[in-house]
Amino acid sequence: MDSSTGTDVSIAGISKEYSTGVRALEGIDLSVGGGEFVTLVGPSGCGKSTLLRIVAGLVEATAGRVSSSRPGNAAFVFQEPALLPWRTVQANAELLLELDHVAPAERRERASESLRLVGLAGFEDSYPHRLSGGMRMRLSLARSIALRPNLLLLDEPLAAVDELTREGLQDELLALWSAVGFTAMLVTHNVTEAVYLSNRVIVMSPRPGRIVADIEIPFTFPRAAELRSTAAFAHLTGVVSAALRGAHA
Amino acid sequence: MRNASVLQIAPPVAVAVILVAAWSLATATIFAGRGYLVPSPSDVAAAFAGNAGTILDATLTTLREAFVGYVAAIVVGVAIASLLSYSRTLERGLYPYAVLLQTVPVVAVAPLIVLWFGYGDGSVMIISFIMSLFPIINNTLLGLRSTSHNLIDLFKLHHAGRLVTLVTLQLPSALPQTLAGLRISAGLSVIGAIVGEFIIGSGNTRGGLGVQIIFAQGRMFTALLFAEVIAATLLGFCFFLAVSASGDRLLRNWHESAVSE
Repeated sequence: MDSSTGTDVSIAGISKEYSTGVRALEGIDLSVGGGEFVTLVGPSGCGKSTLLRIVAGLVEATAGRVSSSRPGNAAFVFQEPALLPWRTVQANAELLLELDHVAPAERRERASESLRLVGLAGFEDSYPHRLSGGMRMRLSLARSIALRPNLLLLDEPLAAVDELTREGLQDELLALWSAVGFTAMLVTHNVTEAVYLSNRVIVMSPRPGRIVADIEIPFTFPRAAELRSTAAFAHLTGVVSAALRGAHA
Repeated sequence: MRNASVLQIAPPVAVAVILVAAWSLATATIFAGRGYLVPSPSDVAAAFAGNAGTILDATLTTLREAFVGYVAAIVVGVAIASLLSYSRTLERGLYPYAVLLQTVPVVAVAPLIVLWFGYGDGSVMIISFIMSLFPIINNTLLGLRSTSHNLIDLFKLHHAGRLVTLVTLQLPSALPQTLAGLRISAGLSVIGAIVGEFIIGSGNTRGGLGVQIIFAQGRMFTALLFAEVIAATLLGFCFFLAVSASGDRLLRNWHESAVSE
């Protein structure tokens, strides 16, 4: 999927200083092309999550601006699935459509379609507590996908699941990305995950966060699990890790 | 399965048998001839049987008063908690007084309520209401405040209004805590009703358990007094059980504590 169709998100001169005087981000310039999968990596507290929240509009930047070619159609996926335990799988998948005042019939149809895409068809009437951790995260993804977003913001969505589930979910995330065709911005501190998923990895410095490297990941999509054990893959994770270490020094 | 339930039921039943036996023995020895102080279990059973109609009427009267006070406390309590959670400023301004009001002994205020609202069951309901109110406010507010921040952000991201967020997200999130408050208040509402009846009760031969208890005490009908105390205890207990059971039913699909059983 190399169908970069112009710039989707353009981040210009973003800085963030909290009222406590802590400077989280300084002079971030980044432009993300339509349909790209861009990952932000950096040490804990470097402001990468804050940057994602600024792009979403959940946090206000102190300076700079974010513009989007198709504003108002972004979805946000959190580190925890953030489901409503009193709602069935189907009703959870419809939640955001409900908040966006989509008509009930269309809501049902779009939610069912998303559940099919993440492999949760047949679980519509279950409650979240009956699902495994991986299935809950897939439901959380389905809830966002149902919006048919052009931009998906992912804040360490796979950090809380075990290694095996994580690798499975990475493949599903890529499959969703190529099936739905959204632009993805992912935050993670896992270098392997960043290289495996993205076509670009942005490396950030410790606080105040700045961009220290913008690394192209040239592997073609679709990618398969074996990619992780190739020399070229090891080389690129090495490059990203070195950039991270350089940023620390 | 059968054995397990027998093992569960046997110990409390054994304790009850031992207690009644000890009570029986005490009335036959220490309190022999002083049934006006401690009547024997059989005297109490006889008082129960002989006044079954009166006790049942009184119990139903108290239940009705407690229930009205309780339901009013649920409506008002959840509304106040929602209002307080609406704005930090509002909470800062009002919450200290809510706590202060909570420390006012209801027993001390009850005569004032009767003075304002008269010697009727309306006053009893109001006292029961006041008694039930605070656990519901406190617990609901706690629940509303502990709604997941991510979910609040998600609702914000999709431009959900505060009312939509309250109804769709916060109140359901708070349900386990609200129900914990409702359990506490179930017992309190019965206590409130009986306290209210004490105040309005003297000289009144009809009325709830509180009225009957004062009446029995005034005439030294100690066995009847015991029977009525037992009826009041059972009433509070059953009320609590009914609220717990409905709560578990509501939560059965989603809350860990209700699910795992």
